[in-house]
Amino acid sequence: MRELRPFTVITPEHVPIELVPAGMGRRILAAALDVGLCIGMISLLSRLLGFAPVAVGILVKTTGAFLIAWGYHVWCEVRFGGQSMGKKLLQLRVCDARGLPVTLHQSMARNAARAVDMLPVAGIGLLSCLLDPWRRRIGDQIADTLVVNEVQPSQKAEQRLERVTSNSLDIPRLRRALANHLSLEEREFLLSLCLRAPALSETVRYDLFESVGEHYRSRFAIADEHLSGEKLVRNLLALCYRRDRK
Amino acid sequence: MKPQPASRPAATAGGAALPLDRDIDAFIRARSQRWQELEERLEKLPNSSLRNHGREQLLRILHLYRLTSSDLNQARGFTANPELLERLNQLVGRAYRIIYQAAPARTTRRGILQFFTREAPAACRRQARWVAIAACTMLLGVLAGLVLVLVRPSNGELLIPQAFFSESPADRVARIEDSHERIDTVSKAAQFGSFLYTHNIQVSFLVFALGAATLVGGLALMFSNGLILGALAGMYLIDGVGTFFIAWVGPHGALELPSIIIAGGAGMCLGRAVLVPGEIGRSQAVRLIIGDVVKMLFTACTVLVFAGLIEGSISQFSAKSVPYGLKIAISAVLFGGLLAWLFMTRRRAPHA
Repeated sequence: MRELRPFTVITPEHVPIELVPAGMGRRILAAALDVGLCIGMISLLSRLLGFAPVAVGILVKTTGAFLIAWGYHVWCEVRFGGQSMGKKLLQLRVCDARGLPVTLHQSMARNAARAVDMLPVAGIGLLSCLLDPWRRRIGDQIADTLVVNEVQPSQKAEQRLERVTSNSLDIPRLRRALANHLSLEEREFLLSLCLRAPALSETVRYDLFESVGEHYRSRFAIADEHLSGEKLVRNLLALCYRRDRK
Repeated sequence: MKPQPASRPAATAGGAALPLDRDIDAFIRARSQRWQELEERLEKLPNSSLRNHGREQLLRILHLYRLTSSDLNQARGFTANPELLERLNQLVGRAYRIIYQAAPARTTRRGILQFFTREAPAACRRQARWVAIAACTMLLGVLAGLVLVLVRPSNGELLIPQAFFSESPADRVARIEDSHERIDTVSKAAQFGSFLYTHNIQVSFLVFALGAATLVGGLALMFSNGLILGALAGMYLIDGVGTFFIAWVGPHGALELPSIIIAGGAGMCLGRAVLVPGEIGRSQAVRLIIGDVVKMLFTACTVLVFAGLIEGSISQFSAKSVPYGLKIAISAVLFGGLLAWLFMTRRRAPHA
């Protein structure tokens, strides 16, 4: 299973927007709700046509069931800006790869591809989602669409950083010092440094972290000389954004 | 989601100045009002057409969107505050989606007529080479199946599904011609016809999607369908009931087979854009042809409805009700009409 990655869209104003692709659990739940709704509509249609002449009843029932099964998603996605009822309840939305609402053509192509995604017992669709970093099934890939979270959950700072499992700086003296003497701006600076580190060249990254690490090493009298500058900064930051920090 | 307050002034660390000379709190304070206003204005137009809103309101939203976009860029430059950045990211993303959405298409009677008279044929003509590739693949399968069975009749058992082997073709023809009509009421025709066209449309979706996702998968499915058809034709020819076969498959096959070929061609056309997009990139390549592709698919589905209704009625009648000659003539007319509609319609000369 490939790691879920945010999908970045560049607007015409050259502003990058991050879309958070929907996870598998919510998508499956939304699909189950939609299937339930479709079954309900088909049952209702059958009951309503119980009084119609046999020939008309059969023709309309078969065609209606087919249209509901294949057309419901297209209609909802185009009419309600990429949301079927199930997706609306779970706050998901289908959008195209530019972050815009899906068009009729895209919606028809992605839903026609259910013929492959549902084979066998939705196995291809699930596999395709698991192998794609943006959780796109075959239909999404051919129509250039993706399903995103309507409300993007705010990621806490500690979730954005690699989890620090063992922290040699986790001692009462340093916890107190950080709580009382490290300003919000400094915390943001450290967080920003760590988040941007992957984009830096190796030399610049090393020099920068060593320089910052040296500053905090002397400021907080940290004696552990085996810690690299980057490890020291990351450990300090992990202390700052601990879950139990008041 | 309220951003963390920054109560302390300039960032200093033990006397040494850090590269932070901005006051986040002041930044948020100065702009939060317009972010709030944009949020409120966006709330009022969820998923609805922008046409229903006044010019002034739309211009105001556009103005606020541009300012907030700029704020997001600035904020990214000097803070990593996830709550602030995600709030702005979400706000800008929402406004962007509404501002740049395509105008909703309106379905009118004239639009539907124009689709079938001009747009669908034009799309098929533009992508004719993909239809030709699909047709050649299926034809190749038909020829292969036919030759394999004519050369060695026992190959038929390997190529054709077991369901077709309950009796020999000659016995089947004799049974059909000597007994009552299988479809003798309208309700039976409706039931069988509607089952057939819903099934065939799903097959066309499968051919389309396989072609779009893998290219080769679409070709393989077209070839295998052709192989079965060719082998079946070979079995009927060997038994000396080839005319019955043409009269049986012809009326609906004249519409059904071209429709499956068009759906397969549409899938492969999309598959090329997805898998081999070239220099323009996948998104752009898909966007360029998806209109034509979906028009072709929709055309195929529409034709399949008629094919299903014909298969459920005329195709099933024995020679007692509809002579073979008439059935073959119907097939020729339907096939010719379909080709003329989709591939021979001339463009109307532009108005002077």
